Amino acid sequence: MNRAAFTAAIAVESRKTLASRVVITSTVLLVAGIAVLAGSLTWAASTGNEQVLAQMGPMADRTGWDRLMGVVAQVTAAAAVLGFGVTVSWMFGREFTDGTITGLFALPVSRPDIALAKLVIYLAWALVVATVLVLLLGLVGLAIDLGPVTGDVLAALARQHALTGLSAVIAIPAALAATLGRGLLPGIATTIGIVVTAQVVVVAGSGAWFPLAAPALWALEPARVTSTQLALVTVVPVIFVPAILATWRRLQLDR
Amino acid sequence: MAEPALPAPRLAARGLSRTFSAEAGVHDVDLEIGPGEIHALVGLNGAGKTTLMRLVLGMLRPHSGDTRLDGRDIRAADAQTWTRVGHLVDHPLAYGELDARTNLALAARLHGVPRSRVNDAVERIVADLDLSRYVTIRARNLSQGNRQRLGLAAALLHHPTVIVLDEPTNALDPAGVILLREILLGRARAGAGILVSSHHLDEVARVADRITVVNHGRTIGALDPGGIDIERAFFRLVHADEANQAGGRPG
Repeated sequence: MNRAAFTAAIAVESRKTLASRVVITSTVLLVAGIAVLAGSLTWAASTGNEQVLAQMGPMADRTGWDRLMGVVAQVTAAAAVLGFGVTVSWMFGREFTDGTITGLFALPVSRPDIALAKLVIYLAWALVVATVLVLLLGLVGLAIDLGPVTGDVLAALARQHALTGLSAVIAIPAALAATLGRGLLPGIATTIGIVVTAQVVVVAGSGAWFPLAAPALWALEPARVTSTQLALVTVVPVIFVPAILATWRRLQLDR
Repeated sequence: MAEPALPAPRLAARGLSRTFSAEAGVHDVDLEIGPGEIHALVGLNGAGKTTLMRLVLGMLRPHSGDTRLDGRDIRAADAQTWTRVGHLVDHPLAYGELDARTNLALAARLHGVPRSRVNDAVERIVADLDLSRYVTIRARNLSQGNRQRLGLAAALLHHPTVIVLDEPTNALDPAGVILLREILLGRARAGAGILVSSHHLDEVARVADRITVVNHGRTIGALDPGGIDIERAFFRLVHADEANQAGGRPG
């Protein structure tokens, strides 16, 4: 890899990301949406709202911080993958829908450098989202008076941080779909497919052996997910990052 | 006494072919642009000009033939080779959410301009293409003509020695056409090799050293830029080719 070229690609992609309404909107929806939804559900449950308790399923039996973090993990498992998938689809697919892809050929900065820079910026942004979300959840928990922040609470917040970050990793295949499909929609369709598949496979009983479902199960019930099962999430980037870089290297404007 | 070696052409394509269907595509095209030369491609819509430009820039892989930039095959071209190339094919490299100045700064980075020289490069091309009134305006809010100017600025700001422009005068106002003409003539005088396509035969005749006519993906002849009735000569070539092809088809 040409280091100067990659540095330029990082500078370009970070500038585009910072100016993007899609990324700003996704950030607000992910952070505020998850925190407000989980916080309000937990607060409603704590006031004895029977409809909310009925909707919560097993989470209804939990209390305090434990209930908040369980609800957050459930919401994050679907919402974060969806939000991250839409964003990464846009980061890759917009080059085709905006027609800027032609300008990314015949440059000293190679297309794999540009694709890798997109992924690096995407994951860095996801870490920021994960961090801000956890901080906001801490404030929400204190605001609705869930009790002192113990070591267990901090561990749950750390798991939530990891779950949000891993949700971004799980959504990476959407970038390949957006590239192969030359636009945003194939990426979004793939993201929805990831969310639905994870839900169906968990219901079918495969549990944490399915990499797309392992992070959420681990955040909900850490004792039931082994480190091996959680490590299987790395299969997603190990397969899809090289596939994305190869696709950008071999890209042709033939359709 | 041995003759001094001629400099390699800025751009040389040999036997380029890329077929999409029985007739569509580009077929066995040779093309050469020397230092200081402006070479124009003219042809009707769908003649294959854009496909040919995509092939010489590596946006499409040929089924046969190759392209060389300063003597180097583009399949083995390194970053240094690509820093010498500037192009505008299809769409300007302009992101709607960014203002014109930021777009140009990013284009400079992508073309290998060192960070310390980006501002200078941007200011110079802004002045050259008279974009100073628009530098703070987001690309999505620019008129089509000014977006085209922005795309041309992004393609030219790093002073490439190989310039490939597809319909560069599209949407430009007369002032923009004159500015572009002066820039291209100046860049050619400085040694750049320039490939442009156009529908505007009069404009092409003003700037080009050589004019190649493309029809149905093949080069079918050349026009004299200094010729008296270039439009008539163009249609004579195209009609002769059409008649030739019709005669060759099974009845």
